[in-house]
Amino acid sequence: MLVSGRRRLAALLQAQPWPFQPSRDMRLVQFQAPHLMGPHLGLEPGNGGGVINLSAFDPTLPKTMIEFLGQGEAALSVAKRALAAQLPVLPRSDVTFLAPVTRPDKVVCVGMNYVDHCKEQNVPVPKEPIIFSKFSSSIVGPYDEVVLPPESQEVDWEVEMAVVIGKKGKHIKATDAMAHVAGFTVAHDVSARDWQMRRNGKQWLLGKTFDTFCPLGPALVTKDSVAGDVILTGTPPGVGVFRKPPVFLKKGDEVQCEIEELGVIVNKVV
Amino acid sequence: MLVSGRRRLAALLQAQPWPFQPSRDMRLVQFQAPHLMGPHLGLEPGNGGGVINLSAFDPTLPKTMIEFLGQGEAALSVAKRALAAQLPVLPRSDVTFLAPVTRPDKVVCVGMNYVDHCKEQNVPVPKEPIIFSKFSSSIVGPYDEVVLPPESQEVDWEVEMAVVIGKKGKHIKATDAMAHVAGFTVAHDVSARDWQMRRNGKQWLLGKTFDTFCPLGPALVTKDSVADPHNLKICCRVNGEVVQSSNTNQMVFKTEELIAWVSQFVTLFPGDVILTGTPPGVGVFRKPPVFLKKGDEVQCEIEELGVIVNKVV
Repeated sequence: MLVSGRRRLAALLQAQPWPFQPSRDMRLVQFQAPHLMGPHLGLEPGNGGGVINLSAFDPTLPKTMIEFLGQGEAALSVAKRALAAQLPVLPRSDVTFLAPVTRPDKVVCVGMNYVDHCKEQNVPVPKEPIIFSKFSSSIVGPYDEVVLPPESQEVDWEVEMAVVIGKKGKHIKATDAMAHVAGFTVAHDVSARDWQMRRNGKQWLLGKTFDTFCPLGPALVTKDSVAGDVILTGTPPGVGVFRKPPVFLKKGDEVQCEIEELGVIVNKVV
Repeated sequence: MLVSGRRRLAALLQAQPWPFQPSRDMRLVQFQAPHLMGPHLGLEPGNGGGVINLSAFDPTLPKTMIEFLGQGEAALSVAKRALAAQLPVLPRSDVTFLAPVTRPDKVVCVGMNYVDHCKEQNVPVPKEPIIFSKFSSSIVGPYDEVVLPPESQEVDWEVEMAVVIGKKGKHIKATDAMAHVAGFTVAHDVSARDWQMRRNGKQWLLGKTFDTFCPLGPALVTKDSVADPHNLKICCRVNGEVVQSSNTNQMVFKTEELIAWVSQFVTLFPGDVILTGTPPGVGVFRKPPVFLKKGDEVQCEIEELGVIVNKVV
């Protein structure tokens, strides 16, 4: 799936008439390594390969993605130079991937945003987006564990594409919106259906925001980007709760959420 | 209103029988001033008086409340020494108060948490707290404007007591909860009722989280400074007229229970804000309903904590 994604992208790039821009597909990560103190910024030169230590390339760069995004083009151009330089690549097995964004101001989520996902629930397609949220404290890394809370018996999976904001804005017109996007990443909108649908006065927050219920990653894949707010854009059909009978996650399960060109996140359920 | 408020407070303080404890009444603030670069931490020696520049007293202190709280007792003891020292007080008119906490990880809100507020809506008192949230981006200072969004015709007031977390925790027992509290402040849970109750699939977030819909302040009153947070008069006035008047003893779920409840689901971090619910008297349940309009002035006041004043624009 991943290899064919890269081939398709290469074909797409060759077909496009624009000049060669090595910076077009930049994969930014936050990572930790045993020999490094605290979180660092890195580049994943290829989807699924090792990691270049961006902070080592330029120690004046911020060490968090949000601060990096806040510096806009200035920081991005440093990253582009790093990509072009022949830098040592840390083996993937030597590093721990963090979520590409941690502690954003907000994690915005959209409900019922896939046509077939509405169909499987027998609800009409919404005329306006239905917006809810997760707390930033629910964010974990792309290979971290999802912890089943003792308080729920109905934990369900939801793969989603996440959009990361790069530029502040209010009352943004749709036609201007992409200028505010830093990039995209894979998200897993883990959901406790009992809490979401039947408890808490049917306000979805608690069911959606248990600790570890928001794996993100593995990388922030930039468009020509360009501070950190994350928007989960909805999930397709196939979630456990609407199956007959319903299926939920149990200890020992492993969930893989994959989006073409963006990557795969793998979360073990404990 | 400020002048009579200060006089009333002075009278209240004189009437109370507690001994003079210079550290007992610690009121932490975040503020800006024209001669200072960026936000600073300060102390409000009296409710409604001037501000002591805590950052000037000890430049090694963090400049944000969240970092200050994260340093726990070490930072608090510096603040206590500052209170005891004879430091210059900046006149209140010379400073701009920010919210006492900005950019917390979360703003947790509790619905239907006053018995009479349930009655006025004709809903049963919840058996479990109903939890929703506002984005941190909705937070503004205690004297900032509340901006009416063009997207809503039904913006309503809600005075609330807010709890600020001081110590990280998960699965916190109610009996341990107060150890995780840094202090209390006044909150105004501004709400767009059309969005909250009829739109967005009846998920309350959008109606509750418009920019400027969470004024907080004026100070983080540390928990040692408040004799009993569950016995404080709480009221809201719109253009001088009392619209909400109650006591925090009417809360269905008190601070300890709320912390225990919420911490089952999520880890609480220093700086996290919990708005604990509003008493009856909100505009939407009046007959006919009343909503805020440009030019209105809302005052949210809680005994011992202070008053926040927000002009509606």
